[in-house]
Amino acid sequence: MPDRISSEESEGLFGDFIDEKLSDLVERAISEGELEQAPGDGSELIVEMDDIAPPEFTYGDTGGGGGGGQGPGDQGGKLRFGVSFDRFMELAAERLNLPDLTKEGRGKIKQVSYEFKTFGPTGVVLDRKRTFKRAVKSSIAVGEYRPDEDRYTVSIRRRDRRFKQPQRIEKPRFRAACFYVGDISYSTYGDRLELEKRLLSFIHHWLDFNYGHNKVEHRFFVHDVEAYEVTPDEFYQVSNIGGTRASMAFDLVARVARNEYDPNTTNLYCFYVGDGELLRQDAAEIVEIVQEQLRPAFNRLSVVEIKPSAHSCLVNFINRQFNEDRKVRASVMHRKQDVIPTIKHLLGSGRA
Amino acid sequence: MRSVTTDPELARLAEHISRYGAEELGMTLPECRFFILDPMEFAALLEKNVYPTSPANIWEGKRMLNKRRRIAQGQESALYYEVVQTGNPSYAYLNETNSALTQASVMAHVLGHCEFSELNVLMDSDRDRTEQVMYLVRKVELARRQMGERRYIDYWNACESMIPLISPNAQYNLERSVELEHRRTEKRERKGDSEAAPAPPLLNPVSSSLNELFAGDPVAPIAAAEKKRAKAENLSRRGYRLRTPCQDVAGFLRAHAPASRAERMLLEYFYVSHMHQDFVIRTQIMNEGWAMYWEKKIMLHLFTERMVTGVIDYSRVFSGVCYPRPYYQRNPYHLGYHLWEHIEEEFRTGRLSLEYREEPMRDVRDSWNRPSQRDPHEYMRQLVSTITDYEFLRRYLTTELVEAYHLNRIPRSHGAALGIREDDVLRADRHWFWIDPEPIQKEMLDFFTHFGRPRIYVIDDDFLDGGLLLFHRDDGRALRADWIRPTLNNLKSIWKAPVYLLSQKYLHGFRAGKYEQQQVQCPTFEEVRERMRDDRKPFELE
Repeated sequence: MPDRISSEESEGLFGDFIDEKLSDLVERAISEGELEQAPGDGSELIVEMDDIAPPEFTYGDTGGGGGGGQGPGDQGGKLRFGVSFDRFMELAAERLNLPDLTKEGRGKIKQVSYEFKTFGPTGVVLDRKRTFKRAVKSSIAVGEYRPDEDRYTVSIRRRDRRFKQPQRIEKPRFRAACFYVGDISYSTYGDRLELEKRLLSFIHHWLDFNYGHNKVEHRFFVHDVEAYEVTPDEFYQVSNIGGTRASMAFDLVARVARNEYDPNTTNLYCFYVGDGELLRQDAAEIVEIVQEQLRPAFNRLSVVEIKPSAHSCLVNFINRQFNEDRKVRASVMHRKQDVIPTIKHLLGSGRA
Repeated sequence: MRSVTTDPELARLAEHISRYGAEELGMTLPECRFFILDPMEFAALLEKNVYPTSPANIWEGKRMLNKRRRIAQGQESALYYEVVQTGNPSYAYLNETNSALTQASVMAHVLGHCEFSELNVLMDSDRDRTEQVMYLVRKVELARRQMGERRYIDYWNACESMIPLISPNAQYNLERSVELEHRRTEKRERKGDSEAAPAPPLLNPVSSSLNELFAGDPVAPIAAAEKKRAKAENLSRRGYRLRTPCQDVAGFLRAHAPASRAERMLLEYFYVSHMHQDFVIRTQIMNEGWAMYWEKKIMLHLFTERMVTGVIDYSRVFSGVCYPRPYYQRNPYHLGYHLWEHIEEEFRTGRLSLEYREEPMRDVRDSWNRPSQRDPHEYMRQLVSTITDYEFLRRYLTTELVEAYHLNRIPRSHGAALGIREDDVLRADRHWFWIDPEPIQKEMLDFFTHFGRPRIYVIDDDFLDGGLLLFHRDDGRALRADWIRPTLNNLKSIWKAPVYLLSQKYLHGFRAGKYEQQQVQCPTFEEVRERMRDDRKPFELE
């Protein structure tokens, strides 16, 4: 008889099945869901999917064709899951192949956490991989597993079991600051506003997920011919039709970063969104500011042109100067489907 | 999970109850092993069909997660009254959070189930059932490695669709429906021993062929010979022949579907671990009533001996379990317990005798008290070993008892849903109304013809070149339309050839990999049965 009657393995399989389904939903949630309304760390995203049940001959009046396929059938109802935001972001990271952001800094405040780094013969969380390795070794030792004699039995004995042991970890607390810069002189409404919101809200959550909630300072700047700081709500609301000078905003960001943050203890990020319709001189000044003031201090600098026109030139200037640069990235978004590739380009591959 | 022997108090109680049951009450008991579980182990055990292990699968995981959530939210209690896997030995599980009183009542109750399993007419008790399932679980784990994850999961899911089609105790079960070559040979051998010498010729001296010509219809022997040859050919090709519709579809697939060794292990596991549910559903009223009957007797003894205390608490629980419910809700504890009490009482006063039945005088019958010399328990045990719920209710549930047990008492709130009109109501009060008790016995008996499930039979295993033809016995209700196709698809992957279903006016099935639903002239069940008996195809497409 077993030591304990448990369905944990089956629950794990169902969990894997749900993760697989969730992973399929991640891209859709980012490009079509209302991610910007998610309140962030500690909250849960409610995910709905079709309920599953093994099909059988039963009475009922559910009409129509439907069904089909082997395996799980559609039970008609819905499965509702609360997925923690952290889990969602982990899945997003896996799906979009995003790296962990580099956590630099020498914060004096220590952060305590528990990690499973050591393993022992007793515990709560079974380490399947280690247990199996030991079981294979034991089975080879006692002669149960001998492929050359066509014997493939691997028995898991009690002494083979290895459990993960929680270990107290103290780490310096990391800080980060992210500057979002928007051009309010162009028509930021409708599709443009929606694309901008999707992109920036994902970046917002992504940084929170990596550094921890309340450890990232998010600051918002807008510009027309002047540049000034606004609240997050105002960032998407203020607009002005007239001339534009983006270099003022980059200059302001450089000054704020220099005066208010220590690049040695703080990770700095900057994301610029606009239509890219600038004077060539303005674009050249931006390249200069980025090159001389921002790039040495910042972890990542990104420029995104949303629905650019024939007169948009900022991305071209940036690309010309910083082609394949690991810190400075530029991208263009025309439609909703571009959100995922843009995120991959801005945050993915290479050290960020 | 730990053995009851780790708790000296419970171990002493278990031993005393078992000894009292076997020695004083004359119960026929198998070895009964008690284990103590925590509440979540209990929940897991139920999801594993009351076996301690099961192969990991997403369906169990889904149900368990759902149960865990419901327990956490207080929608479901983690306390279960009794859980037992009968057989020899029987495994009974106690919840560690229960009080000593409840543990004692659970043990007493379990003994009732164990005896019922030993004695019943369906011969439910088998040796080492739990051990066999645990062995099969290991074999299935091995099969998983042999098949590879993808194929294993597909086959597992296909087998899930087979579970409601397990009917080992049905009238048309595998044994009665399928003729096997080896069984036929055995029969012939047995018959050969007792067969008399050939009859003397009618006319002497003449040739035997002339005798045949004069003996009767000249065509009949030729037709009979052809039929015999067809049967023999059929048997020799496949090793079996369907002679009547077979309701144990899963049993048929398990025995005759082409499968690898690994796949066969899965089929075996599914069938063996679920087959006893058929016994449970066919004997639930007798079984639960029997367990309650003996539980009460044992508990009264324990209270008298002062081995446990809390008779008031026990009475409260007992009356809660045996609370009368309307006939359509079928509380087997209540109905079974009271019927067994009634039978005992009737037997003690001699009212189950032929004389009482034939007595015409009302006043004599009313004052009848002629105790039998036999022990009523002996009579009751004889009933257990000869009948199931259907016969139990048919014989003993009279109109008077329907009234006495409140089976015709309906909550007012259920009235509209049941379509009860004012004319149907005999009397009423603020909470209930009472309907005519007369048709209730028939209503309850009707349940045993279908158990609330569609009746599906295998009627042809060579339909349209090797296809398996299933037949839905029409009872006026349609099958759930959107599940027919995936279910057929799952059964197809077990049968490894097309599977068709005749349901009402339609033939459903896959032809050339494409699902089709075709309107046909569907025969009745009786027509199908007759055709199969005559060795004809039960259904052919025009």
